[in-house]
Amino acid sequence: MELVFLGVLILLMIIALSSGFPVAFALPGSAIGSIGLAAVCGYLWTGDPGAYFAQDGPVQWLTAGITNFRSLYWEVERDTLIAIPLFVFMGIMLQRSKIAEDLLVAMAQLFGPVPGGLGISVVFVGALLAATTGILGATVIAMGLISLPAMLRNNYSKPLATGTICASGTLGQIIPPSIVLIILADQLANAADQARTIRTSEYKDSTGEFSMPAELDITSASAGDMFMGALIPGIILVVLYMLYILVRAVLKPGTAPPVPYAGQYDRQFVANIAISLIPPLALIFAVLGSIVMGVATVNQAGAIGAVGAIVMGGYRLAEHRKHRYTPLIIVVLSVTGILLFLQLFDLNVKNITSQRDFIGVLCAAMAVIACLGAIVWSTWRTFVIENTLVSVMIDTAKTTSMVFIILIGAAMLTAAFRGFGGEHLVREFLTGLPGGFWTQFLVVMLVIFLLGFFLDFIEIAVVVVPIVAPILLADPSANVTAVWLGVMVGLNIQTSFLTPPFGFALFYLRGVAPRAIKTTHIYKGAIAFIVLQLAGLAIAGYFPGLVNYMPNRTYLTSDNAPPPVNPRLQYCIEERVFPEYAREKTVILAGIDRIRNQDFSGLPDTYRDSLVNSFVLAEKTFDLAGHAVSANSELEHYEAQYKPLHQGMRQLKNQLSGMDTRKALMERKKDRLSRTPQTTSEQIEAMELEIFELEREQASLMEKIPANWDTAKARYDELYALANHAKVTYRRNADAAYEPLQTIRALLHDTENVRRFRPAMEELGPVLESGSGAGTIMERFRRVESSLNELTGTTEIRTMLSKARRALKGDTPDFQAAGEFYRQSRVLLDDEIRWRDEALPLLGDLNAYNDLIKGNIGIRLQDRLTTDQAKDIAACRSAHRDVSLRF
Amino acid sequence: MPAGAVVPRMLAAWMVAMPFLFLLDNTLIFWFDWPGTRHFLVHLGLFSENRSFPPLNDPQLRLGWIQWMVSLSVCLVISAAVVQGHGRDLRQDAVLYSRMAAFITRAAFWGVLLVGITDMLISFLRIEGMLSVIVGEHLTTQLGRSIFRGTYVHFPLILVAILITAFTRTLGFIWLALLIVAAEFLIVLTRFVFSYEQAFMGDLVRFWYAGLFLFASAYTLLHDGHVRVDVFYTNFSKRGKALTNAIGSLLLGLPLCWCILVYGMSGKGSIINSPLLSFEISQSGFGMYTKYLMAAYLLVFAVSMAIQFVGFILSNLADFRESSWSRETVNPET
Repeated sequence: MELVFLGVLILLMIIALSSGFPVAFALPGSAIGSIGLAAVCGYLWTGDPGAYFAQDGPVQWLTAGITNFRSLYWEVERDTLIAIPLFVFMGIMLQRSKIAEDLLVAMAQLFGPVPGGLGISVVFVGALLAATTGILGATVIAMGLISLPAMLRNNYSKPLATGTICASGTLGQIIPPSIVLIILADQLANAADQARTIRTSEYKDSTGEFSMPAELDITSASAGDMFMGALIPGIILVVLYMLYILVRAVLKPGTAPPVPYAGQYDRQFVANIAISLIPPLALIFAVLGSIVMGVATVNQAGAIGAVGAIVMGGYRLAEHRKHRYTPLIIVVLSVTGILLFLQLFDLNVKNITSQRDFIGVLCAAMAVIACLGAIVWSTWRTFVIENTLVSVMIDTAKTTSMVFIILIGAAMLTAAFRGFGGEHLVREFLTGLPGGFWTQFLVVMLVIFLLGFFLDFIEIAVVVVPIVAPILLADPSANVTAVWLGVMVGLNIQTSFLTPPFGFALFYLRGVAPRAIKTTHIYKGAIAFIVLQLAGLAIAGYFPGLVNYMPNRTYLTSDNAPPPVNPRLQYCIEERVFPEYAREKTVILAGIDRIRNQDFSGLPDTYRDSLVNSFVLAEKTFDLAGHAVSANSELEHYEAQYKPLHQGMRQLKNQLSGMDTRKALMERKKDRLSRTPQTTSEQIEAMELEIFELEREQASLMEKIPANWDTAKARYDELYALANHAKVTYRRNADAAYEPLQTIRALLHDTENVRRFRPAMEELGPVLESGSGAGTIMERFRRVESSLNELTGTTEIRTMLSKARRALKGDTPDFQAAGEFYRQSRVLLDDEIRWRDEALPLLGDLNAYNDLIKGNIGIRLQDRLTTDQAKDIAACRSAHRDVSLRF
Repeated sequence: MPAGAVVPRMLAAWMVAMPFLFLLDNTLIFWFDWPGTRHFLVHLGLFSENRSFPPLNDPQLRLGWIQWMVSLSVCLVISAAVVQGHGRDLRQDAVLYSRMAAFITRAAFWGVLLVGITDMLISFLRIEGMLSVIVGEHLTTQLGRSIFRGTYVHFPLILVAILITAFTRTLGFIWLALLIVAAEFLIVLTRFVFSYEQAFMGDLVRFWYAGLFLFASAYTLLHDGHVRVDVFYTNFSKRGKALTNAIGSLLLGLPLCWCILVYGMSGKGSIINSPLLSFEISQSGFGMYTKYLMAAYLLVFAVSMAIQFVGFILSNLADFRESSWSRETVNPET
């Protein structure tokens, strides 16, 4: 029965949406309506308002809807959405202050004389600036108004002109910084969480273990990840578009003629081009660059963008005023100054320790004040000139509100959809499709493509993605990343917007195009771009590395990159290191031999033993690594024959578990029915019969399990355990082979500091004998102890010192014992300094040895990956790896 | 002038009064321990519910009577006012309600502005240990308690904000767009230049950003800024558009507002009431103490939207009627 109300929900939604009532209210309104209807019907016919829900009742689902609603700004995890108003502000400011228009004109002047140059510059500007508004209609209309007349005036073929505008208008949707990417990231992060839950429970079902290894986890997506993931596919599309226009212009010069520049190519021209091109490009690159380099979060980059747009608006609007460029110059100078001071001084305000620090902070503060002053000046200009600031703020508020209220409304809709069991239904439908992940994926993409005819990007992202993305992400056989899925969805919707006869972009352009353009021109023009678009989609789909590489690389090279010992990185680290062992075996072995022949007798026993032992372990690495490789290849060899069996079995299991859920639902409903007084015994009997049927069906499915399944699985588990054991053994050995080296190098590095520490220790002697109060002495001791903390290998000395201190505690301080402990600590320190001094000459050899093995045997124990390693591992992680056999 | 404008105007007036009565009821129940209208009606047997309520004692019963009478008299006064002003047309009322919604969002803006800046300063001084130098130990401890800060800092500021609202005519909330940029840029500067970043700075951005889109919604509706699926809508006649908007507001928009009010405030543990009653603050420790106010944003949203929807219905009804006559009569102005 709940499926009837699911139908009602969808019907209501279709009616409400197509009536043209604002989407933001049509979605939650139809959700509330259908929940209410189901509750009333349930109450009237069965006496229980919750009777027609898959689980729980109307109150719970409405409350869940409002909770989702609130979570939009309540939960810290959704902070990336803050970037939306910032980027919207930036985009609208650039448009209102005519920076965008100038950019287009300048590009056209610059590239116009090239065949197809005008079209190419339209693509370029569309890609850069349309990005920020994020609402397709606005972008296409703006581009249509500005560039279509120019293209027609210069005898561009009508289909080519309209096609270029539609395509580059939609392009802005997936080229960062774009707000739809931020929304997709928000939805996908949520979906990835759900997918993780699904996968964990599947893992538990198939192996019986409660925690899933981190390497099987799902890769989530942040807004920064989405930006970087979309960057390369976006650039590919831009290049494809430009090449197409160029090729057409060369083959058929009549369709895209060169546009000669009427004016003089003089200094004025260069200055004009420079001032309209450089600042916006610099701004876009600053915003994107700070994200790609992992310096700033997306929100911070958005604030930089918005402030930059204000500064640019400030000089663009003040066209005929005095000091037109003064604020810009002040900003540029002060920012340069700040960057310089950052290099020269330590500017941490919480940690001003010297005069120099203080001067640095003071200089930086003055630069910041100058910068802020110039920004306020620019803001003031945008406020007084043509009321630009107010109109920008109004539009920002309206756009932001429009976007967010849709997000909120969709959250409510999702609650209702779950309430009526829709999610379960979709899941069963998708997982029941033959052909595994790729069929599911294609079906979803097709549905999104069709929806793209009627719904805008944001609606699709918030309505469809939360429902289907968890299912697609959870699939372990394709094991796609959330970023890749998001980019594919983005490219797909974008294609849909271009497709006749319903494509959105075409409609919008039709609305602003002059009469001379026929609708067929627009349709014809779009076709070539659809082909390019599909090519882009295929490229990004076939080479997931193009999407995944950039986010991975930024993640692994950023300041908060995981240390190499992180279990998620092990697979790729070993992919890199094992071949290196085979390649460099002789070199490394020779190095081990060299270091082994050194004389370590000066070291204290424990250090010496562990170090000498570590060389033996280091030699064993090669055998263990070889063993791990061969165990793994045996596993892989077996996997080839095991896989089809496993796939069949998984499908069977899916069906069985789907039946289990259905059975549980029926049982629950039967319970509820039997408790309501209106129910007849026939109804209950009918339910029971249904349950019985289901059980019989299940039993017949169970019989389809192949006879050799159990042995095959046992064999796989065994081989997997062997391979895993080999790897773990290798890792333990490698760690043990490197750790002593690390310790001793750290100790020797500290020699100088330990030596310098001696005076402080010596001073304690007179203090102890000075006869001052036990309290003061203890305080002195404590200070020395805490400064010992920073020196490696001095724990024993510290223990001795604190023993001395503790002897002074209480009513009867025992000065004698304290003196004894102090003396012992002095002896320990002297010993320490002596052996370290003696061993210091070894440091050079140890360092050479370390350089040899830190990238292979010792890689796991490094603090962080080097840039080279990070790039390599990012590339390895970018491929999607089938992990389905583990489930 | 059309006849029969009194009925829709009357209904509209009641629909506008309802959220306020509901809020009054809710405030009295959860802040002042009054029995509440619903409980009172159940007690009198005028209203039945499957949830059982404990019987009321005498003083409570008295309070219940007072509350019930207040609600009734408000309805009566409103009805009388509507009948009195029978010369007014729908549009005038629509403008009135839009102004009311604008007043609410403007007051919310001033409140958010004053509270945001003040609370940020307090949080900054407190975390840097300068607060006790300025206001003394005792007050510093008190300001570290969210109930104190809410009652003696935020609430007075909100009263001031309402006063300012009465004497200003700007939109207000649009400035939040610029304020968000400023607050986030402040983080950029202090973090990258001086390596200084504190929880309260992020809280300030969040506090203002949530306000921006929730307060702007009513204005966006008034200026048709909420996106529509206009595959069919663009081809509708003026009459059809008006009808769509009026029916949509009634069946899709208003239920959302009421859903938020009713389920957000149904009990002590509901998602609007519970943070407000406990003066909830964010988990980050030394952040701002304003999270509970963000729960009240939902109220501002629901109430301003409920009123704006009523105004929207009236103006569309007026459109609908006008386009109906213009079919029948040549000159609708006479």
